[in-house]
Amino acid sequence: MSIHKFGTDIIALLYALVKAVQVYDLNNAVVQTAAKKIVYSLKTLLNIYSRVQLVRYMDYVFFNKQRLRFEIDGYASLQFIHDKLKTLGIKSLSFLPEIDKEEMIIFASLFKKKKEEFTNGYSSSRFKRILVEFSTEEDEVPDFLREGERIKRTYFKALKVTRNLMQNLWMNQPIDVKSSRRIIYNLIDSLTQDEFGLLTLTAIKNLDDYTYNHSLNVGILALALGQRIGLSKKSLAKLGSAGILHDIGKVALPRELIYKSERLTNEEWELLKKHSDYGIKEIVKARGLDETGLISMTIAYQHHWNYNGSGYPIHNKNESPILFSRIVRICDSYDAMTTPRMYQVVPYLPHFALRVMWKLRNVWFDPLLTKVFIQLLGLYPIGSCLELDNGEIALVIRQNQGYSDQPIVKIILDKDGKKVADKVIDLSMNSGIKVIKPIYAQKYGINPATYFM
Amino acid sequence: MKSLAKAVKAIQMYHINHPSARNFYNPLYEKMAIYLKDHPVIEYQIDQFMISNRGKAVYKEDEKETSIAFRLFRNGIRNISFISGLSFHELIKFLRIISKISKDEDIALELWEGDFEHINFYVVEEEDEIIDYKVPDFTKMDIDYDAKLREIIARENIDLNVPIKPDLAPEELQTLKNQIAEAEQTSAIPVAITTLISYLNTEKVHEIIDILKELLELCIDNRNFYDAIRIVNKLSEYPDINPVAKFETEPIIVGFKDVINTAHQETFNEFMNFISFFSKKSIPYLVRLMTFGKLKERLQDLRKAVAYVAQDDPTALATLLQEQDIDVLVNTIAILGSIKSNETITLLEPLMNHHNAAIRMEIIAVLTEMDKAVRIAKYLDDDEEIIRIKALQSLTRLKYTVIYYDLLSRIKSKTFRNLDFAEQREYFNCLVANGGHEVITQLRKMLFKWVFFKRKRYSVMRKLSAMSLADIGTGHVLDILRRGAKRRNKNISSACEMALRKK
Repeated sequence: MSIHKFGTDIIALLYALVKAVQVYDLNNAVVQTAAKKIVYSLKTLLNIYSRVQLVRYMDYVFFNKQRLRFEIDGYASLQFIHDKLKTLGIKSLSFLPEIDKEEMIIFASLFKKKKEEFTNGYSSSRFKRILVEFSTEEDEVPDFLREGERIKRTYFKALKVTRNLMQNLWMNQPIDVKSSRRIIYNLIDSLTQDEFGLLTLTAIKNLDDYTYNHSLNVGILALALGQRIGLSKKSLAKLGSAGILHDIGKVALPRELIYKSERLTNEEWELLKKHSDYGIKEIVKARGLDETGLISMTIAYQHHWNYNGSGYPIHNKNESPILFSRIVRICDSYDAMTTPRMYQVVPYLPHFALRVMWKLRNVWFDPLLTKVFIQLLGLYPIGSCLELDNGEIALVIRQNQGYSDQPIVKIILDKDGKKVADKVIDLSMNSGIKVIKPIYAQKYGINPATYFM
Repeated sequence: MKSLAKAVKAIQMYHINHPSARNFYNPLYEKMAIYLKDHPVIEYQIDQFMISNRGKAVYKEDEKETSIAFRLFRNGIRNISFISGLSFHELIKFLRIISKISKDEDIALELWEGDFEHINFYVVEEEDEIIDYKVPDFTKMDIDYDAKLREIIARENIDLNVPIKPDLAPEELQTLKNQIAEAEQTSAIPVAITTLISYLNTEKVHEIIDILKELLELCIDNRNFYDAIRIVNKLSEYPDINPVAKFETEPIIVGFKDVINTAHQETFNEFMNFISFFSKKSIPYLVRLMTFGKLKERLQDLRKAVAYVAQDDPTALATLLQEQDIDVLVNTIAILGSIKSNETITLLEPLMNHHNAAIRMEIIAVLTEMDKAVRIAKYLDDDEEIIRIKALQSLTRLKYTVIYYDLLSRIKSKTFRNLDFAEQREYFNCLVANGGHEVITQLRKMLFKWVFFKRKRYSVMRKLSAMSLADIGTGHVLDILRRGAKRRNKNISSACEMALRKK
């Protein structure tokens, strides 16, 4: 069993115990059984590891240094424990050998209490085998999260590889297949470490490099969504490649059409639509007929098929797009809506793009995947600029799992419009501050990219 | 680490399955398994020419060609850890990857694609490569952003009061999990074929046809005849394309022997459908393939499938009838039997008296299929008992009443009693089958016949008559047997009792 699985199992057992003590008397059989189960599992793990530790940092929970990803399976228990740790101000929980059922039950019963009561109720003399470390105002970033530079490097390397791939196809030059295969694994590794790191970079929109940026962003969003729904690494590798290659058919179209700054005529639109067809040939050139190539060609062909059977290229309405195509359909639409282009200088704000997608779930988009996508990005995705009810202007820098409308924000301007430095607020932490509405950062002369790079 | 380095060297020198290589990696695994029982992880840091564990160098090799450290480092691998639970299979897979000597091998990529559960590694991008990234330009434009936002809300008809609740209900979660499980298990090939066929349904594009042809080869290599047929069906819509021509060669067709002998029944059935697309060019190779067939039923099916291919022009089989190989001849004859064309008998004529019994047997089978009783009757005088029996069985099945008196006279002849019991019994069966009502009288006579001499020898005739009467089994006939069972003549009564018991 992997460390991740051990971690999710412990979280599920702790969740069951905390829920049980909230409802039943501590001597009740339900509580006793739940405690027995978690103690047994902890003891088994403590035969392997010298200690079992849960660490919460921002919206992450780590089990023995391995980040536990929010996946649809086990989402409720991880979210519950994460929220409990957060509201009780717990930074880490360590379980030591010799832990017993009674200590575990009494400790779990403290989870019912408010932060202050919990802090008063806990003492290391009372709990000898459960160590609690409380959060401080300025918790140090764990080593394993100091990955910003590496993630940036991975993103821009991926962008370079994507650009080279498309340009070489455009010019009938040989393609470096190895680099494009390799970069997918780099992206998967980065996402596993810190999914929001890469998602942040997808929020930086570059008008000059739309085609390449968009292709890469769709790949990253698809990987993040695929990871959230629990796809295996192998499937993620296929999905990520396919996401990056979804628009590759455009290299078979005249460049003038791709880079046209005015609105396209109907004829030009019809021609542009052919990119889904052309994608098949280009993918065979780029990837051959391996599993990834075959999946990618299908996705390139289906990525404009809608959930209700409409869309292009024309197809039998009873033929449904495959799961991966439905994922890419969502990611492609979201990134396209939120990215400025020559003929769409003012794009949709991410929040409104998500509202459009919510409205069109069941019509254009797979409803279940749309929900997971919104869970992933939050109602105000990273990079969103928000007007707060205290008059401040803030930038979303992190999601809060389980609080999709209460992200962690960085205050950019105070209520008088003056620049603010280093003020970060977690809107889910009883700050009393509410979001009034999302706004265009450009309106206030804010370039979000400067805060993320 | 030293054991690991030795194992890598051994694998590079010998094949991974070579006993000398095993002598290194088997103990390596044992050592690691013992260590990982007590420790959750073994972690190694990789430097250019050195590998260390907890800051202590455990491996050093400065020679680029042979250094494992250098090979890993060059590929960007900076850290490798083996986690408790590591399996022997995983270790072998890992060793196989890192033992590759070629400079073109991307070890990091292969390790990633190896999808290890208990081996983690950390890869950095080439640090000497300059990755240029800068903050995208930002110029404040003279745009009324609030107006733009209102425009978008109006265009998309967005109701800001609609709540967005992205939580999944338990049944939704289950549905999604099922979809994921299905997607994880589905091979990309059928999906891609559907896509390409869907494309061709709108437009004929040569490149797409070429891709399908390549996939067809892939399907055939993988013995995936179901998808192969989907492709062939589609491509057969184009008169200028013969999608199966490439496979109608002797090496490819004879190469299907695994399919006819060991493949799953479903695969075999799909293969039968697939060969129905073959032209007559494939017939000699398919007949050759049959000679490798070990399963009777599948061989029958294959013969029928070839008959389908050859039905319009059975002369394609004629050349095969010149062959010396008995298996080829037998199969060819059987196929001709399945075709049942007018030319069949003409083609088989020269082989009617072939010296090999297997050929004559097969010819009788064909003649039976074609209702050619007159020709079958000639085999009643064949030298080999097995052929005569086969002929009798065929005549029994065909109900050739003309033969009745001939059979009766043969049964009554003195030489009849020299035949083996099995053949005698077939004679009686054939007599019953072709005799009508009159046969009961004859059988009764033979059962109760007064015999003064060689009574013992005649008892066989009584038994056979009684058994045949029992086979007829009508009330009247059974009465005859019951009365016979009461006769004082022991031969008669025991023959009747035995026949009644068997009834």
